[in-house]
Amino acid sequence: MSARRLIRQTMTIARRDFIATVFTPIFLLFLFAPLIMVAFSTIGALGARQAADHGSERVRIVAIVPDAVAPAIAEADRRARKVFRRDEEPPALMTMTPSRDVAGQARATFEAGGYDATAVLYGPLDRPTVLYGPRGARTADYLAVLAGSALAAERLGGTLPSISPTKIAFTRQRPTLGGQNQTAFLAVFGVFFLTLFLAGQVVGTMAEERSNKVIEVLAAAVPLEAVFLGKLLGMFGVAVLFIGFWGTVLGQVTSLLPPSFAGMVGELSPAVGLPMFALLFIAYFTMAYLLLGSVFLTIGAQASTMREIQMLSLPITIVQVGMFTLTLSALSEPDSWLARAAEIFPLSSPFAMAGLAAADDALWPHALALAWQGLWVAIFVTMGARLFRRGVLQSGSSQPFWKRKRG
Amino acid sequence: MDNQWAVSATGLAKRFGERRVVDGVDIAVPTGAVYGVLGPNGAGKTTTLRMLLGIIEPDEGQRMLLGHAHPRDASDLVGYLPEERGLYPAMKARDAIAFMGALRGLDWKTGRARAGELLEQAGLGHAADNKIRKLSKGMAQLVQLLGSVVHRPKLLVLDEPFSGLDPVNQERLEALILGERDRGATILFSTHVMAHAERLCDRLAIIAGGRRRFEGTVDEARGTLRARVRYRPRDPERVSPDLLPADAVREGADWRFPLPDEGIEPVLGRLLAAGAGILNLSIERPSLHEAFVRIVGEAAMEAKA
Repeated sequence: MSARRLIRQTMTIARRDFIATVFTPIFLLFLFAPLIMVAFSTIGALGARQAADHGSERVRIVAIVPDAVAPAIAEADRRARKVFRRDEEPPALMTMTPSRDVAGQARATFEAGGYDATAVLYGPLDRPTVLYGPRGARTADYLAVLAGSALAAERLGGTLPSISPTKIAFTRQRPTLGGQNQTAFLAVFGVFFLTLFLAGQVVGTMAEERSNKVIEVLAAAVPLEAVFLGKLLGMFGVAVLFIGFWGTVLGQVTSLLPPSFAGMVGELSPAVGLPMFALLFIAYFTMAYLLLGSVFLTIGAQASTMREIQMLSLPITIVQVGMFTLTLSALSEPDSWLARAAEIFPLSSPFAMAGLAAADDALWPHALALAWQGLWVAIFVTMGARLFRRGVLQSGSSQPFWKRKRG
Repeated sequence: MDNQWAVSATGLAKRFGERRVVDGVDIAVPTGAVYGVLGPNGAGKTTTLRMLLGIIEPDEGQRMLLGHAHPRDASDLVGYLPEERGLYPAMKARDAIAFMGALRGLDWKTGRARAGELLEQAGLGHAADNKIRKLSKGMAQLVQLLGSVVHRPKLLVLDEPFSGLDPVNQERLEALILGERDRGATILFSTHVMAHAERLCDRLAIIAGGRRRFEGTVDEARGTLRARVRYRPRDPERVSPDLLPADAVREGADWRFPLPDEGIEPVLGRLLAAGAGILNLSIERPSLHEAFVRIVGEAAMEAKA
């Protein structure tokens, strides 16, 4: 049989599946699923934030210092607070005049109504005592730093000298090791997330043919390998449409973000260079999709009911998460046997190699890996088609392989 | 390529588990013929057709399909209607037909155009843009049949094509089969309804218990049984059993017996000489149905033995 004919047959199946999936109202639900997910997450996060903010407005750190020292402490707090991002800022500072029993006063502060004290400083500035409550250890350190600054200001005659630095942004030419690691993680996570979300969709695609009994029409006209590959490609087309849509949306949204965000993205610096990395990312996503998709398709094709397909979802997700975890472990130990295993094992290879593209500039391993992964796609598709033919296309029997007696 | 036979197979065998479903079937379908594969339920007809088409591989035996040793190589020249009908319910009738053509190498545009023509010819033009799920079972079946001929195949294989069709659609289907034959296609179909086979088949094979029990024309199948004589004497009192063949049976005023090898004349001579006379005499040719029942019955007896 000619390769051209096989491609034509495969594309006929792929086209049918693509159209049958995309031109349905359900597809819109699928397409906007991330939006729904983000909307729910945002609502949840806003609710949690609001609850947290409501409590944090009343949280205080307290300095029980003589009135003469209070301005210096407040000034030290004003200066130190600048280095924190808004969500990392320590609680607001409150100063109090010491009473006769200052230790008792400090303890009483924790029980006072109207605010929640997390840490209270009292005593001489060179040997202060800091009481702190649950989750108050860091604010206790902060109060100690304020005491030190106030003491330094006192010794310098009341105020610390002001400094006017010249700040110049510098763009490094060499990719940083941190940036490479970050890119590697993002690459692995990106491939994992996309395949987790999209490759699982192929599990149930053969069920349609089985329930509608179309499978025999297909099997008589085209090789089952073409049916399997066509289904994979059809759903891959759906995945590409999905990614294209969201890629465009995110691209537009990103262009509206402030320059500081762009600077953060600039830190992501793959070892093979950004254009090649983008190509390799697409290639490895394709391979991950085809590899995991062909395994899922093979397993799903053996199931004859929706219940069986639903039951298969959990082990499938576990396999995916397992591959992701293996790859992350390998990333943390490059050049180890674990890393090699993750790069060679067919189901984890696309994840691991996407990570490698970020961390190592050699290109030949990628050519080798893509050929290796392609070989496994062919093996999985052929095996899937054979199992399906043996299990389903025999008269009077439609037993999946796990229910078949050995004879 | 051997043009004499559109399909030929020798010694086809298939086992599912412990059961030998097809057991050494030989078949030869002449090019341009309408060929029937007859057999009771579970005889192995569907499995035989599936093996001939390459849907499943035989455990033993050789086959040739339109001159190709690998049936897959000829799949674009074949149309197939499986026993279990199946279409995508969300597809429109026209698209379903074009899709089946596309599977066999017909481009979509031509497929859609031909689908429209075929649906018009079949009286389903009004339903061309209806989704399959909106069609009646009979209409959907007809759509699938049209899908199996849209690419103008050289060989049309139909597995129990008449089952589930009402008499009007059965007639349409017979007309379609004969139309395909007139176009030059070879038709191979399985059935257990003898009337269709009797009307349509140039040749047929009877399969029972996984084996081929008969191969030949409809007349040759009928010829496996002797013709039966029904005789009513003018004067029943003058008929004695010794004037008739030994296996003659009385049924009311009639006598029935198989046509003797030497013909009816010697028996008639004896009856006329005895003065029994002839009020009524008929020689009945056995039907295909009777031949089928006998052949299949013998196979069942053989299996029991």
